[in-house]
Amino acid sequence: MLSEYLPVLIQMITATGLAASMLILSVVLGKSGNQSDIKNSPYECGMLPIGEGQPRFSVKFYMVAMLFVLFDIEVVFMYPWAVVFRDMIVTHTIMFWSMLSFAGILLVAYLYALKKGALNWKE
Amino acid sequence: MTTLNDYLIASGLLFSIGLFGVMFRRNIIVIFMCLEMMLNAANLSLVAFSRFNTSAGLPDYNGQMLVFFIITVAAAEVAVGLAIIIAMFRSRRTVDVDEISSMKG
Amino acid sequence: MPAYYLEIAVVVLGLVLLLVEAFTPPQHKRRIGWAALAGIAATFLLLLTVKSHCGCDSPMWQFYDDSSLSLFFKGLALLCTAFVLMLGLEYLPVLEKYSARAGGGPATGEFFALPVLICAGLMWMASAIDITTIFLSLELTTIGFYIMVAYMRRNVGSLEAGVKYLILGALSTGILVYGLSWLFGATGQTGLDAIRTALPSAARGPALFAFALILIALCFKIAAVPFHFWVPDVYQGAPTPVTAFLSVGSKAAGFLVAIRLMEPFLAVESLRTTCIAILVAVACATLILGNLAAIPQGNFKRLLAYSSISHAGFLLLALASDRHTGELTSTRIIAFYLSAYLCMTLLAFAVLIIINKSTGSDELKAFDGLHRRNPFLGFATLIAAASLAGVPLTAGFLGKFFVFIAAAGAQQWLAIGIAVAGAAAGFYYYFKVIRHVYWNTAPEGAAAIPVSPVAKSLLIILIAATLVLGVYPQLILGLL
Repeated sequence: MLSEYLPVLIQMITATGLAASMLILSVVLGKSGNQSDIKNSPYECGMLPIGEGQPRFSVKFYMVAMLFVLFDIEVVFMYPWAVVFRDMIVTHTIMFWSMLSFAGILLVAYLYALKKGALNWKE
Repeated sequence: MTTLNDYLIASGLLFSIGLFGVMFRRNIIVIFMCLEMMLNAANLSLVAFSRFNTSAGLPDYNGQMLVFFIITVAAAEVAVGLAIIIAMFRSRRTVDVDEISSMKG
Repeated sequence: MPAYYLEIAVVVLGLVLLLVEAFTPPQHKRRIGWAALAGIAATFLLLLTVKSHCGCDSPMWQFYDDSSLSLFFKGLALLCTAFVLMLGLEYLPVLEKYSARAGGGPATGEFFALPVLICAGLMWMASAIDITTIFLSLELTTIGFYIMVAYMRRNVGSLEAGVKYLILGALSTGILVYGLSWLFGATGQTGLDAIRTALPSAARGPALFAFALILIALCFKIAAVPFHFWVPDVYQGAPTPVTAFLSVGSKAAGFLVAIRLMEPFLAVESLRTTCIAILVAVACATLILGNLAAIPQGNFKRLLAYSSISHAGFLLLALASDRHTGELTSTRIIAFYLSAYLCMTLLAFAVLIIINKSTGSDELKAFDGLHRRNPFLGFATLIAAASLAGVPLTAGFLGKFFVFIAAAGAQQWLAIGIAVAGAAAGFYYYFKVIRHVYWNTAPEGAAAIPVSPVAKSLLIILIAATLVLGVYPQLILGLL
């Protein structure tokens, strides 16, 4: 049964081996020979590198990411609700209304975020 | 055949890795990731317990319901937590827990 | 009317307040506080009309308990929230200073909307009888508190307290969930009633493991020993009304959850002795640490933090006594102790907020000569300190007295010895506060301290409650 995973194992060995050998070779071969600042700078297709290696992102990215995670994760409740109670939703209206009130709470949160300017990219 | 014990060992390992990370790492972001790992360890054991606790051939879905709630609560916790950590970083320029100790006594 | 309408009402109130907050101009934020207060008061009046065990049929009753005990703790949560909102209105000038937005005026509106949502969580906690609802309501309050503790984002102390509370709170959540998963694994049930019937036949090892994990996690909520180290820092850094809320609301609801979750374990003959031994050990450690660490404190907020730890020790001792007979069962003792604790702790925090507003300091030195600068405030401090120490004729004395009765009934002599020593140490450090108020002279040029009408009525209510409960405990015990 484990033999099914043999290709995965081979793939992993090849991948790590290739990467490791490249790194080792560049260290071994690169140390010899004359060095200069230009040679040690990162290779950017011949362009001179500008700015720092890690640009600072605006906090708006995190804000939108956080809001996305929050609203996105609520589907976790809606999906099983829709699948499991597919027929019961029609006969038992309380199921419909309870999910609608849940969506209403999300709507309040959305309005709040909108009004507070959390989704405003300009300014 | 994977047994309940295998899942419990995996979840126990995840939980211990998370716990040790929380205790010994100093970067708040890493600590936060370790905390998430602890929650997911609990999720794994809940799903395993629920899968192996069958009644009439069906798993006990109560435990899996709890997992849904844990996932959403964890997302809310991360959102609030990251906001606080960003506010902290803006005022102190650090994410090192050893440096946030102005209160003593 | 089924009791869960109350939570729905409180949640709707909180959401409406949030929307109103977002759509009103900044100069009208004070009104949100008053609206929240009015809404909470109205819900409290509604609570008085709710009868337990309403016959209405609903799938809710699997998750939701409406016994008189639950209703009592709901009342406690609502009262605590109302007092905290009043304290918040009093604290507004300090809050405005530290919560300024980058581009404009202060952001204080959410400070009154979030306690309402936290209150809904506390009320749910009081009724939760399924591990799913227990977990959810606990998290609703905890996540709300993360924001509240870090609310003053122009203040480094508040942010630090927020980060500490966040990390330790999330850690306790992780441990709690893992414990709950083992409880589910050991019994195969999520409802507490079903767990109670399934636990005697469960394997001993997983059950004890679950017990230990759940106890450790709940110790975070109630500020007891393995998880107490966040308490002093967070209490000191958080905005003072939030500190009061944490120390009273969070602890009260946490104890009811602890009672509910511990009860099935204590009912099983083979687990009982081990579980009680663990509980007594935790209680003793909490009593020793809380009282010893409180002695050298010179900051009133930190003093109250350690006092909160030591009171958690007394409460745990009552829980460990597991008394079910007679008028004074463990549950009723804890309910009475928590009501007394609510009155005296909120009184102490109210005094602290008023003093902080005019002197800008939380140190005990700021209390020097208080009885000359404002005799009424001095008297309020006297009552709070006396009751926290446990002087007869105050509510704090009866609370401790009941705990001793229960512990003596359970023959926990060692724990009683430690508790007596702790109470004696308590007399020392609480009387240090009284000494500052009545014996020390005020610094040169110290002005009289003004008390606003709102604060004055709050102080009068709390002083009266502390004294009345001290002579007439039936007022609380009769409700259960």
